[in-house]
Amino acid sequence: MKLLSKLTLFVTFSKLLIAILFVLLLPSLIKRASFQYTNYYLGQQKKKVLSVIAKNGVDYYLQGDSAYGSYTMLKEEYISLIPAGNQIIHDTIETSRRIIEGDTLNYRVLTSAFMYGNKNYLLEIGKTTATIGQYNNLLQRFTLFILIGLILLSIIVDLVYTNILLRPLARIVRTKLQGRKFPFKDVLTPVKTSTSDFKYLDRSLISLMEKIHEAFDKEREFTSNASHELMTPISILQTNIENMIVDEGVDESGQEKLSAMLITLNRLKKIVHSLLYISRIDNEQFTKMDTINVHDLVTEVTNELAHRMEMKSIIFTNTVARKANIKQVNHDLLFQLFYNLINNAIRYNKEYGSIIISDYYSEGQPYRISIKDTGIGIREEELETIFNRFKKSGQSDGEGYGLGLSIVKSIVDYHGAEIRVSSEFGKGTDFNIIFPAEKIGI
Amino acid sequence: MRVLIIEDEKNMAGEMSEFLEKAFYLCDIAYTADQGRKAMEENQYDFILLDLGLPDKDGLHLLSETKKICPSASYIILTARGDLEDRIKGLDLGADDYLPKPFSLLELQSRMQAISRRKSGNNDPVLDLGEFSIDLNKRSVSYQEKEIELSRKEFDLLSYMLLHKNRPLTRLQLSEHIWGSFSDDDYDSNYIDVHIKNIRKKMSVHAPVEWLQTLRGIGYKIKI
Repeated sequence: MKLLSKLTLFVTFSKLLIAILFVLLLPSLIKRASFQYTNYYLGQQKKKVLSVIAKNGVDYYLQGDSAYGSYTMLKEEYISLIPAGNQIIHDTIETSRRIIEGDTLNYRVLTSAFMYGNKNYLLEIGKTTATIGQYNNLLQRFTLFILIGLILLSIIVDLVYTNILLRPLARIVRTKLQGRKFPFKDVLTPVKTSTSDFKYLDRSLISLMEKIHEAFDKEREFTSNASHELMTPISILQTNIENMIVDEGVDESGQEKLSAMLITLNRLKKIVHSLLYISRIDNEQFTKMDTINVHDLVTEVTNELAHRMEMKSIIFTNTVARKANIKQVNHDLLFQLFYNLINNAIRYNKEYGSIIISDYYSEGQPYRISIKDTGIGIREEELETIFNRFKKSGQSDGEGYGLGLSIVKSIVDYHGAEIRVSSEFGKGTDFNIIFPAEKIGI
Repeated sequence: MRVLIIEDEKNMAGEMSEFLEKAFYLCDIAYTADQGRKAMEENQYDFILLDLGLPDKDGLHLLSETKKICPSASYIILTARGDLEDRIKGLDLGADDYLPKPFSLLELQSRMQAISRRKSGNNDPVLDLGEFSIDLNKRSVSYQEKEIELSRKEFDLLSYMLLHKNRPLTRLQLSEHIWGSFSDDDYDSNYIDVHIKNIRKKMSVHAPVEWLQTLRGIGYKIKI
């Protein structure tokens, strides 16, 4: 998930969570607040009552009755005044049920004792809880609306701001990472941003890619120079020998020796070629922009090799699906890959042997091509090392595999594919190349 | 035909010139790009053989400059750099062919001949070979007006040997010409033997072919 989406989700959810929490707590908070205020208010009313009683005297209210109870004195709260015994009563506030003028109501009642004229009196000031909670619902609704409004506003502000804040990051990803291909040839311009972290990230990416590109160029220059340094002397030798072979002073046995020298020189040339080729593949100097049709490629390769198969009377079968395509590959490299494998299948085959090329594919699964021959096979203990450079095989004719299979391995690795080999000595070999499913179009 | 060899390796340039002069080309040698340009200003050349790794200037730069001075010449790029892009760049700049070093001098001459043939509009004379006549334009071999059917590779071999007549050709040189960089020594050379056998069989029905000689341990030669 993108950072921006994550932040958006987080901001929205966290605000909603706070809102829900607040909504859940709101009734009890408001209730508590109003009770506390009522308590305080009742305390104030008590002081007022006591000062009024001090002015007018208790008897003014009692008027000879044993108790006084009325709304008159405080207009809103009910007052009850009764003489009390000698017991000491502390001020208490509690909610209790009272029957006033025939009605049973819930009251918040402050009970307090006071002395007047050497007599203890008990004062009760009561307020109906109904009047206490009168505005609670309205207050709750009002608070809720304001809260929702504020939260929506803050979500919008947060999202707009994070969007602006993260915009340089999106630009860095878009210009520096997306669709960029090794060896990062194009020159990059820094992304404008005032956030130092992004600046640092951007600068680091640019310098990293420049370094990679420089290293690539150096490597390329090196292989080019190495090629020049190695090929030039071989080239001179070859022209020397070619001219010498027609020299009048050279007799037939001399010509024969010179001809053998040309063959040896050719071997050297091929080794150097192969090593440079491998180093070019390993340094990723080939583009991977081609789409190839496997069946056509195999045909292209076998056309080149038909004469060799004819010589050994080899039966060749190509059962590869005509519609199988491999994407994002290098045509020349894949040609070389199949050329080397099929060439080996011919070279190490028997007279009247056979070569079968087949493919296996099912939706979403890797694509496998098998090149199977009925040749001399490879001993089990040699299977692991056949892709190593210059590995000599234990065959009696002393012929090594040379670099052909090393090239195959490099090409396979370069394309993110895999190669497996199974063989039965004396019966034949089966090379399997496995391409990842996403490179296949069928 | 006048050839300018621009090559900084003196030994290499010398060998090329020696070989081409035997094939009746007139050769001048330049060891630097500067010398090469001067030579081009003084003389008209049919062929310019250009090495890319020159000490004073990159061969490709020189090529783009000299295409203006000497537009009628045919350019063949010779390089040991082996850079994959050089070939494309060179041909884009108007080079007629590209030979990676090391190359066979025989191959060089064969390419030069192919370019001449292309530029002259395929107007080669029909060549005589013993009692046979070889028509390089039609790619046909005939004996007294009667055409002898040779396969494509067989004709390639015969015409290549004819181009380099009176010169021993090794099996390797022949197979390199036929299969290029895909040739495989002592493997394809057997196939050369098969081809030669076929050529002899098809042609000796009509007339003797003793001009096609086998050189034991080396290869073949057309002697006329």
